[in-house]
Amino acid sequence: MSDEQPFEGFGLARPAPEPAPASRPAPRRRRAAVVLAVLLVAALVLAGYLWYSADHWHADSDAWQAQARTHAAKVVDLQAKLDASAQELASARDQLATATTRITQLANEKAQLGDTNAASQQYLDYQKRVSTAAGTVADALTRCTSGQQQLIQALRTPDQYDAADVQRFADQVATLCKQATDANTQLQQELQQ
Amino acid sequence: MRHRAAVAAAGASIALLLAGCGVVPGFPGLPSAAPSQIEASQLVPASPAPAAPTVDPSAAAALSPDGFDTVQRMAVRIRNVGCGKLSTGSGFAVDSHTLITNRHVVAEAQSLQVSTYDGRDVAVATASTAKLADLAVVRTRDALPSAPQLGDTDPATGSRVTVVGYPEGGALTITQGTVVGTTKDPLNENLGEVLVTDAPVEPGSSGSAALDDAGRVVGVVYAKTDDGHSLLVPVSTLRSILADASQFTPVTPCS
Repeated sequence: MSDEQPFEGFGLARPAPEPAPASRPAPRRRRAAVVLAVLLVAALVLAGYLWYSADHWHADSDAWQAQARTHAAKVVDLQAKLDASAQELASARDQLATATTRITQLANEKAQLGDTNAASQQYLDYQKRVSTAAGTVADALTRCTSGQQQLIQALRTPDQYDAADVQRFADQVATLCKQATDANTQLQQELQQ
Repeated sequence: MRHRAAVAAAGASIALLLAGCGVVPGFPGLPSAAPSQIEASQLVPASPAPAAPTVDPSAAAALSPDGFDTVQRMAVRIRNVGCGKLSTGSGFAVDSHTLITNRHVVAEAQSLQVSTYDGRDVAVATASTAKLADLAVVRTRDALPSAPQLGDTDPATGSRVTVVGYPEGGALTITQGTVVGTTKDPLNENLGEVLVTDAPVEPGSSGSAALDDAGRVVGVVYAKTDDGHSLLVPVSTLRSILADASQFTPVTPCS
């Protein structure tokens, strides 16, 4: 209760002041303090998490760098092996080309030798035939000569032979000699070819 | 008033924080403890420049184990040992035991001797000649290394051809040219028209296969003109004659 009394009867009396809101800010301040406290705690938690995360990322980055160096070394090694393999492949291809060329040459040489062999065999067969023909011609000429000699002998002693027989023998000798001569001529022509 | 402003600022901060969560990426999790789980292939560029010579798949398919391609493996050399004469020609396989060559290559033969690209001898079983074309079929006892496919149609003028054979009875030779046209057979050996190409051929090339760019037989060399052109029996004639067995008569050996 206040001791002040209103001034009654005076026109300048002032109204009594309203009571000050001493009890209203307290809950708001508490709420604000709570909110700030929560935000502070959240910020601290976030900072802690970021610190923890950054530390892990740093460690992980080191591991990645180490692995990258390992892979880089492997890449260098594989590249060297690849280059070596490429050189070996090129060399093998050259050797293969050389080998195929040589095989073709050898096949050709064999074929040429086969041709020569076949031609030689044909020539040998031809020589055999010529030799056989020459022998036959020689035999026929020998028989011709022998017949002619016998005919001459018969003509020298006509009294010992019948004239008809001599004539028939002469015809046979002439036929034989003609055949021998023809064969000889043919043989000579064959030899001249 | 200041209290209200502080609350408003805090609210705005939270609102901004929440709004920012919608546009920034999610907060990264903790790194794994095992980075080696990454495969090495993930560290290599997706399409690295070729560091080594490569083999074209089609070329690889055409390669044989001994380094000769199909074009060479199918060609054969034919030696005609006649009665008092010797000649050589070419031919090519159409299956494992059948050769195609020219009629005049096997005519008047006492024996036929066939050899492959690598010098192996192939025993001959029978030989038959066609009546209406300068073609012959030779059956072999031994297997042939390789056989090409026959083309479906005759090559058009301007088409490229590859001739594989043994010119002059020499080494296996591959020549190329183009089809310059068609003509009636000046030798009257073939019924119908024949192909004219500028692929160089020589005596001994008779019976060589003429191939298109796909390696299919499109003709059979049988003659050479005075102006250096080669004459081919077209594949259409070859196909039609092969389809009619009555077209062939066995070769009579000379005596």
